[in-house]
Amino acid sequence: MAVLHAWRAARVTPLGELHTPPRMTAVLLRLTVQVVLVASLWTGLYAHTGTTAGLTRDQAVTYAVLAVLASRLRELDQYAGRDSVIQHMHYGTIVYWYLRPLPPQRYYALRALGEQLYGFAWALGGYAVALAAGVVEPPRSAAVAGVFALSLLLGQWVLYYIMLVTDQWCFWALRNNAAVMILVFAQNLLSGVYAPLWFFPDWFVTLSAFMPFQATLSVPLSLYIGRIPLSDAAGQLAIQAAWVVILALLTRFLWHRAARRVISQGG
Amino acid sequence: MHAVRIVWRVTRLNFRAQLEYRSEFLLMVAIGAIWQVSVIVFATVLLTRFTGMGGWDSSEVLLIPATRMLAHGLMVLFLGRMFGIGRDIQEGRIDVYLTRPMPVHRQVQLAYFPTNAIGDLTVAAGLMAGALSRSHLDWTAVRISYLIAAIIGGMLLEAALFTALASASLRFPAAEYWARWLEELLGTFGSYPLNVLPKAVGGFLTYALPLAFVAYFPAAVLTGHGHDTGVPYWLAAASPLLGVLVYLASRLLWRRSLAHYAGVNA
Amino acid sequence: MSASIEVRGLSRTFHTTVRRPGFTGTLRSLVNPERVAKHAVSDITFDVSPGELLALLGPNGAGKSTTIKMLTGILTPTAGEARVAGVVPYLERERNARNIGAVFGQRTQLWWDLPVRESFSILRDIYEVPKAEHASRLKEFDDILDLSSFWDTRVRHLSLGQRVRCDLAAALLHDPPVVFLDEPTIGMDVVVKEQVREFLRHQVEQRGRTVLLTTHDMTEVERLAERVVLINHGRLVLDGSLDEIRRTFGSTWQVRATLADAHTDVVPPPGIAVLRQDGPQVVFGPDGPDAPTVHQALKAVIERYEVTGIAIDEADLEDVMRAAYVQAGAA
Repeated sequence: MAVLHAWRAARVTPLGELHTPPRMTAVLLRLTVQVVLVASLWTGLYAHTGTTAGLTRDQAVTYAVLAVLASRLRELDQYAGRDSVIQHMHYGTIVYWYLRPLPPQRYYALRALGEQLYGFAWALGGYAVALAAGVVEPPRSAAVAGVFALSLLLGQWVLYYIMLVTDQWCFWALRNNAAVMILVFAQNLLSGVYAPLWFFPDWFVTLSAFMPFQATLSVPLSLYIGRIPLSDAAGQLAIQAAWVVILALLTRFLWHRAARRVISQGG
Repeated sequence: MHAVRIVWRVTRLNFRAQLEYRSEFLLMVAIGAIWQVSVIVFATVLLTRFTGMGGWDSSEVLLIPATRMLAHGLMVLFLGRMFGIGRDIQEGRIDVYLTRPMPVHRQVQLAYFPTNAIGDLTVAAGLMAGALSRSHLDWTAVRISYLIAAIIGGMLLEAALFTALASASLRFPAAEYWARWLEELLGTFGSYPLNVLPKAVGGFLTYALPLAFVAYFPAAVLTGHGHDTGVPYWLAAASPLLGVLVYLASRLLWRRSLAHYAGVNA
Repeated sequence: MSASIEVRGLSRTFHTTVRRPGFTGTLRSLVNPERVAKHAVSDITFDVSPGELLALLGPNGAGKSTTIKMLTGILTPTAGEARVAGVVPYLERERNARNIGAVFGQRTQLWWDLPVRESFSILRDIYEVPKAEHASRLKEFDDILDLSSFWDTRVRHLSLGQRVRCDLAAALLHDPPVVFLDEPTIGMDVVVKEQVREFLRHQVEQRGRTVLLTTHDMTEVERLAERVVLINHGRLVLDGSLDEIRRTFGSTWQVRATLADAHTDVVPPPGIAVLRQDGPQVVFGPDGPDAPTVHQALKAVIERYEVTGIAIDEADLEDVMRAAYVQAGAA
């Protein structure tokens, strides 16, 4: 039975999307345009430059395109389904989360998992097309591919917790605009969505090494394009795993406090 | 006159309301600032890595993000509230606005004070000062007037794009989804000499999504690259005027869409 | 048989900080916040038997919702105790959740982006209801609430009446013995209201569910509830039948008499006042705390005056409740 409710909760997002074909068209269009733009921008930038920041043109383009695809994994319209924590707090419907025999944290995790798997399908489709079109390079070896897959999984796990923290913030502040914007910013900049972290000054790279953001995208993508050699992979994977553990503990604690807050305030 | 007084009064009240939540206020100012700092870091990083981008020297390239960010900051301050219109529609606030004796567009603008614009503008002004001090151009009165016109035109052009999207949201609420993408596109591709891109892509960003007119074309005209932008010189030079025209058109579209507004549950 | 809902001395106090006015006040509040205790619910005791429908009444802000939240396990009481179907809701929230269903006014628990039936399926799996049972119950609900005409529509496109009907069904799909409804029919049209009432009657009478209902609609109370609990300012004012409420607070009768002689000097009997006089038309009403009942007053008026016509207006339940809220508030 537990499998059944897991399946039900996980497919809420994909089902909502399937019931709204215009949204899917929008995603497809946006993904296509973004990939074309990003690929042509980096190709253009490299027109008069050979290798810079340890990256060749093909590596940089591959990185940028994969970053666009990977950031699709959970970049849906979070508010369309009215099932975000901030909306439940706003409409007072958060009480129903605490009225069901399914713990809110598990429901949230299942919903997020479904959303991430759905996004993964999109990313995978985009990757296949980009690979066939020669926009991205294939991984250099099976080992690289394997390490990349593992690192991507850990990265998405870290990302899940980061997004969870911003949602949990809503239990205390009725507004989370500022928090979300800071996180989106940090996420995009420090994870290397805008540009590979390798282009930034040393102080910046050092700074971001102490934060969880680079674990989400920069590490797996750098492994993929070979900017982080396989020999360094074990250390990087360990750091990612450490972030998973730290954030898991933090969010667990926050769920606990959130429940106490709902129970003392009445939602 | 009466309208101006009301706008001023409401804006002051909104500003005070923002001050009520002090931490959120400071956080929003800070966000505006760091957001833009990130753009600067990014732009300078690229400038140092890729010198001679599109045939421009780096002091010239800097003028593009400076113009764009100043225009963007002013847009957020004066005309930026169109962005979150989807929520106003969903929660029936548009219906409330329609019952009041004030243009709906103005009421949307007066909904709250855009605190993050303070940070945006501070950083943008700093970047513009930096770009001007590094510039080798002779800043005559004509050049300065054109730069100011370009910034205002850029502001109006960006506002026009968001107003057009908001007009679409009035009829198709899902259109709000595109607003976030639009902002992202303007941020990422608005800061480069667009001639580094393939012709088709540059054409897309000129004619389909007229992002090139916000900062790239005016900067090209100012720095003497106006003849190799891929569009006729007069068109590039007319960017500020185009901003005004497109903005007026978008307001017309807004008026017409509002007339067809059918409410949330229709 | 033990009660379905047992409430013993239940209390809930909220602490809030007050903001002082002005700039210095704001600063002082920051350094030394002034905390104020608000007693939302104080020392409430009542029982609800299995298969009983109880209306919990009271003016806005009386503590009705707070009480319901404590009984559903969302809120912990500061004092006292409650048991719902034998479970202490705030100590064993999840166990309690399987025993109860709840609808909070216009707040929907359905998934906004999905057809209603998908929401039902999700809830079926969350509550682990067997498929056949789910289907037969859905059929039963459909027969009264007429859900099938719109249950393939996405929730965002439903009208309020349709959505609340779906929400009611969603709250009862897992066959809970106890149901909490916080103003379920607010903002609905008369046809839908009647449909919902019929549904509730069916659930109480045929299925034996215990229902605790709050509402401001007195017609609803008259049609559904045999017993009411009246609270005001967080305190229990009255626990009894509707008749008891009428007897306690329903002294707002009027006797309209047409006198034979329009020039009679009207000096009313003790405990009775003249409310209006227009020629031979005189309207009498109760006067003071020792006012007679409407029947005594009728007798007194006929004995004292020569009347050609007489009529009684007994206050309707709305008037009774208004009197109750005002009197209980003053007490």
